[in-house]
Amino acid sequence: MLKKMLRLEGINKKLGNFRLTDISINIPEGEYFVLLGRSGSGKSQLLELIAGLKKPDSGNIWIDNQDVTNKKIQNRKTGLVFQDYAIFPNMTVYGNIAYPLRCRKTEKNIIRKKVEHIAGELNIAHLLDRVTYNLSGGELQRVALARTLITSPKVLLLDEPLASVDASLRDDIRRLLRQLNKKGITIVHVTHDYREAISLASCVGVIHNGRMIQSGPPDYVFSNPVSRFVARYSGIRNFYKVRFINERGIWKAISHSKAGFILSDGSYPEDGILIIRSDSIKIHKNKPVLPDQNCYSAVVREIIPSDYGMEITVDAGERFFIDITRDEFRALQIAEMSEVWISFEPSAAVALNGSG
Amino acid sequence: MIRQTPFSLLMLFLSSLVLLFILAPLLGMFLHTEGYDLLEAVNDSDVRQSIWLTLWVSFVATFIFAFACIPLAWIMARKEFPLKSMVQGLIDLPVVLPHTAAGLAVLGFISRDGFLGKAADTVGLTLVNNPAGIALAMAFVSVPFLINSARDGFAAVPERLEKAALTLGASPSRVFFTISLPIAWRSIITGFVMMFARGMSEFGAVVMVAYHPMIAPVLIYERFSSFGLAWARPVSVLFILVALVFFIFLRLISINRKNFSAEKNAET
Repeated sequence: MLKKMLRLEGINKKLGNFRLTDISINIPEGEYFVLLGRSGSGKSQLLELIAGLKKPDSGNIWIDNQDVTNKKIQNRKTGLVFQDYAIFPNMTVYGNIAYPLRCRKTEKNIIRKKVEHIAGELNIAHLLDRVTYNLSGGELQRVALARTLITSPKVLLLDEPLASVDASLRDDIRRLLRQLNKKGITIVHVTHDYREAISLASCVGVIHNGRMIQSGPPDYVFSNPVSRFVARYSGIRNFYKVRFINERGIWKAISHSKAGFILSDGSYPEDGILIIRSDSIKIHKNKPVLPDQNCYSAVVREIIPSDYGMEITVDAGERFFIDITRDEFRALQIAEMSEVWISFEPSAAVALNGSG
Repeated sequence: MIRQTPFSLLMLFLSSLVLLFILAPLLGMFLHTEGYDLLEAVNDSDVRQSIWLTLWVSFVATFIFAFACIPLAWIMARKEFPLKSMVQGLIDLPVVLPHTAAGLAVLGFISRDGFLGKAADTVGLTLVNNPAGIALAMAFVSVPFLINSARDGFAAVPERLEKAALTLGASPSRVFFTISLPIAWRSIITGFVMMFARGMSEFGAVVMVAYHPMIAPVLIYERFSSFGLAWARPVSVLFILVALVFFIFLRLISINRKNFSAEKNAET
C-alpha cells in the first residue's frame, strides 16, 4: 500500500462570490496528479490552500501524514511554482535559486554547493550569474523549478506549468516533469488542458465551479465521464439527449430526431445523455456490411484540418463530429456535400449518469 | 511625429501655451537678473545660510518622515480595512488645505500650549522659530507626495512575487525587505524627491511657525516686501538654480537605479 502523501478532507473556502465546496482528495506518494478545470474553476485557489497561502474555512489538509491545516507555509514541505514563474526581478538567477536557503539561514558555502548542484541538474548552470529579465520562458520555468526544488519539497505544486512556455519547449518541460516525478516527488499539476492531463497524469481530478466532480486514472475518467462537462473536457463533442429503451432484449437510445443507436448490454436510465467519441466513428464511401453496428447514411457538411488530422462534420439526422487521420481522409476522397456512410460499435456509445 | 491635422495643430497650440506659461516667467526672471547681482547674492551670507537651511531641513524632514511614510504606503497598497478611503482622504488633505491654514494648525500643535510643544518643552526644546518646527511645517504639507508615490510603487509590485517568496519560506518582514521594497524602490525615491522638493519650496506653512531662522522662500518674501522686486530677484534665481541642481541630482540617482519595472514587464 502506497503511503498517502497529500490528503484533503472536506475543504470549504469562500473567496468573494466564489466557493470551493467539499473538496476531498487522496494522493499517494509519487503520484502525478493533474487537477483539470477551466479558468475560474477554483483550481489555482486550491493550490494556494495546499501551499498555505490561504486557510480553508473548514476541512483539513494532511501532508506526509501530518495535519498541516494550521501550519506555517514554510513548515508544510510543499513547493509552489506559479504560472508565470514569479521570478524575482531584483535578483540574479543565483539569487533567485538561493533565496529559500537564505531564508533558512543556511551557510553561504552550503548554499553555493546546493545551488550549483540543482542548477546542473536542470541544465541552467550557465545562467547563474545572469539577470532574469532577458531569460526565455523555458529558462524561467527551470529557474522557478530549481528555486522550489532546492528546499526538497515532498509535494510539488505546479500552476499551469506549460501555459506560458512556447509550444516547442513544452516537450522539454514535460520530460523534465516526468523525470522529477520518477525520482519520487509527488506532483499536483493544475491545468485547463486535458491533453496535458493525458500525457502526464497518473491520476486526474476534474474541478468545476469549486467542486471536484470526478477523479481517477485519466483513461478511466475520459472514457467514463460522469458529466457532460467532463466529456466536453476530453474533447468529446458528440452529445445526444436520448431516451433509453429496451427492444426485445437490445438496448437502444432514441434521440430527439428519432435516430436510434444500438447500445451494448448494461443497465440504462429512462433518459439521459449519450456520448460518442469522435475518433470511434468510422466513415465509409459505400454502405458497409456491419450487421451488429450502428450504421447510417450521412452528408458531409464541413471538413476542417485539426491536430489529429481532419475533423469531419456530417449530418445523419443528428450531427456527428468525426476525427480521422490525413491518410484516411486521402483514401476516402470525400468533399463537402459528399454522401457517405458512418458506423460505430455499440460500445462506443456511452451513457452519462445524470444530465451533466 | 504627430500628423499635421487641424485637430493636432490645435492640440499642439494649446500645449505650447501651457509650456510657455511655465517657461516665460522663469526665463524673464533669469534674463532680468544681472550677473553682478547674482554674484552679490552668492556672496551674501544671509542668502547662503537661508538656502543651506532650506535644503538640509527639508532633506532631514523627508528622511525622517520616510520611515513612517513607507510602512503607511505599504499598508495603503496591500491591506483592505474599514474606512480605507477616508484614510486616503486624510493623507491627501494637506494638499488641498491653504498652506497658511496648515501652518496655523502646525503652530497650534507645536507651540508651548500644544501637545508636541509641551512634550518638546520638557526636554528643553522650543519648536517655534526653530529648524525642528520648520521641518514639521514642511513635512505637514509635503508628506502626501511621498506616501502616494510609494503607495503606487508597492501596488505595482506583483502580488504573486510576494506570495512566491512566502511559499519559499520567507517571513512577511523578509518578503517586505527583499522583494516589495527593492521593487518599489524607484517609486519611493521619486516620492522622496517630490516630498523634498515640495518641502523646500514651502512658504505659507513655514512662515507661520518660523519667520526666523529664515528659509529661502521667507527670505525672498522679506527682501521683496522690504526692498522690492530687484532685490528679491537675484535671491530667487540663485535658489531656483540650487534647487534645480539638487532636483536633477536626485532624479539621476533614481533613474540610475535598476529599472525593475521594465523587468517586471518583461516577465509578465
